[in-house]
Order: sequence, then C-alpha cells, then structure tokens
Amino acid sequence: MGISCSQMSSSGQYSYSYIFKYIIIGDMGVGKSCLLHQFTEQKFMPDCPHTIGVEFGTRIIEVHGEKIKLQIWDTAGQERFRAVTRSYYRGAAGALMVYDITRRSTYNHLSSWLTDTKNLTNPNTVIFLIGNKMDLEGSRDVRYDEAKKFAEENDLIFVEASAMTGENVEQAFLETAKKIYQNIKDGKLNANMTESGVQHKERGGPASLGDSSSSDKPNCSC
Amino acid sequence: MNSVQKLLSSDETIISSHEVSLVQGWMRSSKHLIILEKNRDLRGLLVVSETVDYALPIDSDFKFDVDSESKSKNVGDVFISISYQKQKLLFEMLPPSKANTFINELLRAMEYQSRRKTAGDYSWLKKYSKKTDLSLENQGVVMDASKLLLDYNEHIPRHSVARGAMQPVAARDSVIKYQMGMMEDQYTYTQGIQIFIGTWNVNGQSPSCSLSDWLSITTDPPHVYAIGFQELDLSKEAFLLNETPKEGEWLRAVTKSLHPGAVYKEICLVRLVGMMLIVFVEENLAQRVDHVVCDTVGTGFMGKFGNKGGVAIRMDLEMTSLCFVNSHLAAHTEEYERRNQDFHVIASSISFNGFLPPKSIKDHDQIYWLGDLNYRITDLDLMRVKNLINQGQYETVLEHDQLKRQHDLGHVFSGYKEGPIHFRPTYKYDVGTDEWDSSEKARAPAWCDRVLYRGEDIKQLVDYKSIPSLKISDHKPVIALFNSDIRIIDMNKYRKKLEEVMKRLDKVENEFLPQVMVDMNDFNFDTLRFLEAQSKTLIIANTGQVPVRFEFIKKCDDSNYCKDWLRIEPYTGFIDPGDKCDVKLVVYVDKRCASKINSGQDKISDILVLHLEGGKDLFITVQGTYERSVFGCSIETLVHLNVPLREISPDKLKELERSRDSSSVSTYSVPKEIWFLVDHLYRNGLKQQNLFEHPGLPSEVLLIRNWLDTGSTDPIPGSVHSVAESLLLLLESTAEPLIPYNLHEACLTASTSYLQCKQIISSLPLHSKNVYLYLCSFLQELLSHSDENGLDGKTIATLFGQIFLRDSPRSRNDPSARERVNQTKARKKASFVYHFLVNDFSDLISPVHVS
Ligand SMILES: Nc1nc2c(ncn2[C@@H]2O[C@H](COP(=O)(O)OP(=O)(O)OP(=O)(O)O)[C@@H](O)[C@H]2O)c(=O)[nH]1
Ligand SMILES: [Mg+2]
Repeated sequence: MGISCSQMSSSGQYSYSYIFKYIIIGDMGVGKSCLLHQFTEQKFMPDCPHTIGVEFGTRIIEVHGEKIKLQIWDTAGQERFRAVTRSYYRGAAGALMVYDITRRSTYNHLSSWLTDTKNLTNPNTVIFLIGNKMDLEGSRDVRYDEAKKFAEENDLIFVEASAMTGENVEQAFLETAKKIYQNIKDGKLNANMTESGVQHKERGGPASLGDSSSSDKPNCSC
Repeated sequence: MNSVQKLLSSDETIISSHEVSLVQGWMRSSKHLIILEKNRDLRGLLVVSETVDYALPIDSDFKFDVDSESKSKNVGDVFISISYQKQKLLFEMLPPSKANTFINELLRAMEYQSRRKTAGDYSWLKKYSKKTDLSLENQGVVMDASKLLLDYNEHIPRHSVARGAMQPVAARDSVIKYQMGMMEDQYTYTQGIQIFIGTWNVNGQSPSCSLSDWLSITTDPPHVYAIGFQELDLSKEAFLLNETPKEGEWLRAVTKSLHPGAVYKEICLVRLVGMMLIVFVEENLAQRVDHVVCDTVGTGFMGKFGNKGGVAIRMDLEMTSLCFVNSHLAAHTEEYERRNQDFHVIASSISFNGFLPPKSIKDHDQIYWLGDLNYRITDLDLMRVKNLINQGQYETVLEHDQLKRQHDLGHVFSGYKEGPIHFRPTYKYDVGTDEWDSSEKARAPAWCDRVLYRGEDIKQLVDYKSIPSLKISDHKPVIALFNSDIRIIDMNKYRKKLEEVMKRLDKVENEFLPQVMVDMNDFNFDTLRFLEAQSKTLIIANTGQVPVRFEFIKKCDDSNYCKDWLRIEPYTGFIDPGDKCDVKLVVYVDKRCASKINSGQDKISDILVLHLEGGKDLFITVQGTYERSVFGCSIETLVHLNVPLREISPDKLKELERSRDSSSVSTYSVPKEIWFLVDHLYRNGLKQQNLFEHPGLPSEVLLIRNWLDTGSTDPIPGSVHSVAESLLLLLESTAEPLIPYNLHEACLTASTSYLQCKQIISSLPLHSKNVYLYLCSFLQELLSHSDENGLDGKTIATLFGQIFLRDSPRSRNDPSARERVNQTKARKKASFVYHFLVNDFSDLISPVHVS
C-alpha cells in the first residue's frame, strides 16, 4: 500500500505558491529581532544582542487557503548602519516598522523611517506599524491614540504588540501578508517583477535551500 | 562515476546518468543515478555516491513514479520515486530541466523488460553492490518520520550534514508527500469493504431474464461491483465495428438487478467487441473514487483482434488502488499454452494512461482478474468427469484442471490466488437447461469461468460460486465475493500531520540556515600612516549546522566590497560547521587613496557586509585614525604650507585641499617638499647610476616621509635612490597628475609638436607649470651628466611621461584600454616630455622666488 503518484500530485497542493519579502525596521532596541523570533519560533528572547547586520528568517503561512512563504529580513537599528541597511529595502513587499511604546524617541524617529521606506520601496509596499512592548504598560511613553492617528495620517496599518507575550505578533505578520495578497489579486502588484517583493512559484519555481541558483533566499544586499 | 567505470565489463555500458539528491528523512544527499545495460539486453539502475549504494535490476519488481510539480509545463522540480520490492526511495532530479532524457531512458528500460518473456539473470549487477534492499537502516539513517518528529535531534545525521554530504530537505510538494507517506499509518485506517466480482459468458444472448439471482444474493449490499461479460455479441458488426446494441441492453439489465439495499453509481464501462466490464460503486463511497482509467487489448485473430483478449479498469478508492481485468482467453482444450500467452500479453500490454510512467496491471494494491479463461479438464475420461461431478467430488476433477496445473507450474497467474472451487463446472450446458452439452461435439465440462485475485488485504469470502438458475447461455455466471481492506484517510488526523510536517520543514529550514559568529564586529586601527600597512584578523566561526559559504559583498552604490585602502584576505570562503576561518583585514593607505583622505573625501571608516550564502548578513565596521602626510597633498596646498604639515589641523588641510587655490599669493612658487628632494638630488645624485630606475628602500622612504611631514632640520635621511623614489611618489600621490586629466588628450595630440606642447604647458595653472618646468630643468641638468649616470633622455621621458600624464584610476581599470593602445599612449606621453628635456624653454619660466 502506498500513496500512488496520482493520488496526491495535483500541483502545489502542499508547498507554497508565493514568496513575500518582508523587512523589519525601526530604532535599535525596539524589539525587531524579538518580534521575528517570536514569529518564527514562538519564543521570547530576553537577552537578545543588538543586530549587527541583517538577520534572516522564514515561515510558511496560509492566506485564503494559499500557502505563502515569508522571507523576513530583520535589520540593524543602530543609526551608524542606516546607510547600509537602506540597501535592503528594495524589493520588499511588506515593511514592519517598529517603535517601542516605552521610549518616545523611537516613536519620534518614525517619520524618518517612513521617509526611507517610501523612498526605497515600491508604492504598493505594505507598511505595518507596530508599537512593541505593550506588556510594559506601566512605562508607557507613547499613547495608543496618538500612534493610531499617526498611522491613519500616513496610511499605515497599526497594532500594538508584545514580542514578550506574543500578543498581536502573529497578527501583524499575517495582516501584512493578507494585504499584499489582496494587492496581487487586485492587480496592483505584479508578482513577476522583482521590485514587487513577491514571487509566484510558477515562475520557474524557486530552487531549494542550499542550492546556489536558488531565488528563495537572500543573495545580495542590493 | 569512476568507481562504476572501473567495474564495467566489456559488454556493459552506461546508458544514461543523472545527478540527483536522495531524500532521507529530513535530509537530502547528493547522488548519481546510472542506468547500465548488459549485452544490449538486461538493464540495471545504480545509485552512486562515492561508491555504489544500490544496484537494482530493472526487472518486474522495479517501479518508479515521476512526480513533477508542473508536469505539463516542463519547469519546476522533478522528483522520482523508485521502489523495489515494496521499498521506496525519493530522488530530486538536478537540474530538473535535464530530467526528461533520463526519465525516458528509464521508461524505455522498463518497457523493454516488460516485453521479455523470461526473467533475466541479474547476478552481473552484484559486482557493483550487493545491496538491493533499499532500506536505509543499512546506512544509519532512520526513515521513520514519526520518530523524527518526536525526537528530532537524535535522528539528524549531523556528522553527515557537517561534512556537507547532506543538506536539509526543502519544503517541496514531493518531499511533503514523501514525509506524509512515511507516516501513513498515523492518519489512515483500514475499512473492510465488500467487493462483488461477477463474470458470465453470455454466448451472444440478450438479457431476457432478471439478473437478481446472480447480482443480488448477498444479505448486505456489496460496496463495489465489477461485472464482466464475454461473447456479449457474436455478430459480425460487433466484431468489425465494435458496436452493439447489446451493450445498452446488458447495462440496463445489470443496473436493474444490483442489490436493492444500496444506490450505485456506474464508475466505468469498458468494452472490446464481446468483452465488457462495468464497475459500480455504492453512491457514498463513489465520492472517494479517483483516477478511473480503462484500457483494452485484443489477442484474437492475428494475435490482435478483439474477439479474444482483455479489458481492464483501474481506480483509486481512497488510498488503495484497485484494478479489475476481464479477459476472454483462447479457446479449445489443447490450446492452454495460447491461453497462458494471452494472459501474459494482457498483463503486460494493458497500460493506464494519465500517469508517468503509465501504470500497468501489476502496479495496483489489489487486482481482481475475472473472465472466461477457457482452461479445460484434460487427461480424464468424459464419463468419469461427469460422474465425479455428480458425486460432488470436484477436487479429483480439479486436479486435472489446466489452470490449476499451469498455475502450480508458475506458467500463468503467478502471484494470484483463487478461492476453493465448490461449484459445478460452468461450461458447457444446453441452453435453457442445467444439462451438459448434448450436441454432437459433446464438450467436456470445464471451469472456464473464473475469478482470481492478487494483493494484500483481500479476503475471499465463501461465496465463490456459479449460478445455475440463469440458463440463457451455454455458460453459467460466476460470482466471487471478497472482503477487502482499503486504506482510508482520516482527514482530521491527516490535516494535523500535514501541519506538523510543514512546521517541521519550516523549523528545519530555519535551523539549517547558515550561522556564524565573528570574534569582533568593530575594528579600530589607530595611527595609520602613509605606506604603512596594518592588519587585524577577523575570525569567522561556523556555529551552525551546515557548511557556510561567506562573501564580502558590495553595498548598493559602491564599486567594490570595501574601500580602496582596505584589503580583505580572503574575501570569500567556505567553512565547515565547527570550523573557523581567519580573515585578514589589511589597511594600507598608498598613493591611490592618500589624497582622498587628506581632502576628507574619504576617511578611514567602512562598513563591510559579510554575507552568508543562503542566510543572513553581518556588518563589520572598520575605522582608524590616519596621520596625514604631504603625500597625497595637492601642489596648491603644498605651496601654501608655510609650516610643516603636522603642525596644521586636519580641518585646515581639508579646507586647503578643497579650495585648491592657485591664484592667491602663495608662500612658495614650488612646494618646498619638492624643492628639498630635488635639491638633495641635485647635490648628491647627478652622477648616480640608474637614478629613478633603481628602487629606494621602503624603510628609508618612510623616514623621508616623516622628515618631510615634521619639517625636520636634520639632513634628509636615506640614499639618493630613496629620495628619488619619494619624489616620484609625492608626484604620484596627488589627486590629479601635474598635468590635469582634462588636458591629456590635447597633450597626446600635441606630442609631435614642441610648439603646441609649450602652449599647453604655458596654459597650466601657475603652480603646476612652475613645478613642471622646475622638474624639467632639473632633468635636463641630470641628463647633462649622462656620461657619468648612464641615463638617457628617452628613458627619463618615458618615466616622467607616465608621472606627469598619469592615467586616471578609472581608465586604468578599463579593460578596453588594450595593451597596444597603452603603448602608443606611453610613447606619445614620452615624446611630450622629451621636448622639454632637449629644448631650451627659459622663455616659459617666471622668476622663482624662494623666501
Ligand atoms: N518587555 C519587553 N521587552 C522586549 C520586548 N521586545 C523586545 N524586548 C527587549 O528589548 C530588547 C531589544 O530587543 P531586540 O529585539 O534586540 O531589539 P532590536 O530592535 O532587534 O534592536 P537592534 O537589533 O539593535 O536594532 C531586548 O532586551 C528584548 O528582550 C517586548 O515585547 N516586551
Ligand atoms: Mg535586532
């Protein structure tokens, strides 16, 4: 007895059909790496070192019954790396812009992060604003409604989340994917252009990890 | 490959080979598949890594499936699974684009073997590898995916991964399917279903009576009916045109007489001339039927007409594949060998399309073979047969049954079983009676109509019998009832398992991303000086599970992966897990980059991007403080410097460099540094052999550098050669050559005319002109001593041509600037300068005033 070839071979039944590229940006220490870790490993890293470079993580999710592979780039937040990390924005389908609700300065810098994002990504890149560390209500330094207002003014989707408790983390990543998916379905995004940050699997099909010709993994900082 | 080549006998050749990766658990490793041919006859398949892992005969036990994620479009990944005697290996074809050729060869090999009448001797394959057992336990790899899920760490062959021999699998459909297949037991269960097989040679009659006695005799309604007819229509039309009204008549009769306890759906009807097979499945179960395909084969007149032969239907019922074959084999008592042959032709010719490779009868979990097989009773007196049968002593008669005998001898239906026969022979009766054939021919009774089966999980129920009450034909219909287990997916469990597998693959992918640690992210070099290299070591340790290829990569707008004052050795490399790599970072400010640092256009500060192939990037910061030097200063700056360079602030220097003011009143008409050096050579070097040709000592050049930068009052240190070299270096380190780039074209054009050359020089910015003429005067003086120093004008002109008219760094990198072009250019530069070595140009000189 065995699963015969025929029984399960309808194309793309299990594996993902899209790849979305995300970037996570924001000031240092706001919790970008913790958010990524929480999303990929469902764990909190209390002593997360500063990211000096660009970390990379993947996860396959499902949106409207379609499997999507998220390819997430977590950038260094330190100001001195700003010039270098800018080269990672290109071709992002989604940008998670993070600030720390307990540190006002990280909120104040959002406009500069937003400028970079708008300048360096395509017009359809979905920008999602995350106010992180919502578990630290006692030390709150940025009110929810003012951030909400900022988000509305700039056409961003917004949640407060906690990389520690995991609250709203999954939601932020998934909502972004849904929005991107919607953009594809609406014809706003062309899945065949590299700038879109979206790859449709039919297009040659990404090769596997460890295969140098592969397209479903990071390759160049440009 | 080599190991195979060595073992090839002279009559063995490699037909085709392909690079693959073998999927084992969550890992994959790279292999080659090789198809071998011996004697232009037998073929075998080898699975090869460094040595041969498996040597498999491509015989009747060999099976393979192609699983391409987009079969039609010929792109995407191609996986093939090869099974041999129930064991299975999954291979990913690399690259997929070339897989077709290999797969076609494999198909041909299988097709060829299926046409063979006898089994081949495959012992020749043993010399490659004795292993034909595909179980991977032999290789220390546990295949049980369920265990892998529970206890991941224990079963990952980490040492193999570390060696790079294995890599984690990727989330591909085929891989997931394979993983799911490995733990089928965990989300499937078996369910017994009742399968009703009926066969009847109706001798061309129409259904003039109800068939309920035949088709509706069980208490519970069967789940599946497969009903076969032979000699449905004996007319010429049916034979020649394969068209007959009988098809519809019998279909209606059958449909009416199915068990009334259930509603049935007709799944498929297939007919070839008089052979017809219909499959019905109980309505609810019918939804789980998939991939229904049928095929027919004629073995009658001329070996191919449809008066004899077989028709077949295959389908998947949930996870179990079923195949039903209805055949009418050759007639006449003595023709049992023809019957055997017919069987083999049907078994090997029936081919179900829609699969790659097409499936044949044997590729099914359960096979039910029914029909008028036409085997007779031999070597027994007719009267005795009849007597024994009347006494119910079927066993004695059955000993003379040709089918039993041929089956026992292994000549036909090997692997098939048949239930015990407790019923009267089904042939040959006088129509309308239960009496044996009373015609002239008085044919002997025989069990012509039979049902055999093959496969696990099939239980023959006691009901294997004929139905005497149906008398319209000279044959009696036969039924065989089976209770067969089919495997059913528990969708809830299945989804859960699938989720687990997906999660695991995600995890494997993240866990097997390349990981490294660096001992330092920040490198600080203090007190860097011109021409003094300093190096530090960056240690990259592979702390991950997989081998890492690293490379320092360019940032977006940069032309190189690091600044030109930095060297990274090696800038790319490969590190095994647990290993490390020392990377040397060498900072060296030389004549190419000094001016940019002096002017502030560049500084000793760079962020390197260390990229891990297939993974993350790390940033490495390199910084340093540079002790500025007159090397790299422009002529304009130097003439304005009335104190040693060290005594002015870096900002002041930057300001000077940025303004490069040639008009304002300067302290000197030529830079004092140049004057010092030239003056020294004038005093000490005029008679020196090979001046400017002989290199100086690097250590002395550094001393001279310090002497100039600090404005020392000591005598100039070092030999005249070192002083000469320092002079050249000073001229070469400026941002622009003495004759600015924008005039170079004009200079080359003018090189044949002294007058034009003079015009260009007179148009130079004041300080450049002064320095140029000053140096040329000195060179004229030098050449006037050629008797002693052995220098000649041509050599000096060539050397200084390259310095005064130095190419821009950009053109030096230009690959289109070919050798010959460069030579011509060099010659023209030399002629340009040469004019000023042999002519009196005092008319160009404005008075030099050194204060
Ligand atoms: N209480 C609380 N602490 C958090 C949360 N998220 C992150 N932290 C902590 O904040 C610190 C910084 O988190 P990181 O994820 O390293 O921040 P980052 O944005 O990646 O910083 P850079 O890599 O320097 O850009 C860590 O010590 C975390 O433990 C959160 O949701 N709640
Ligand atoms: Mg970080």
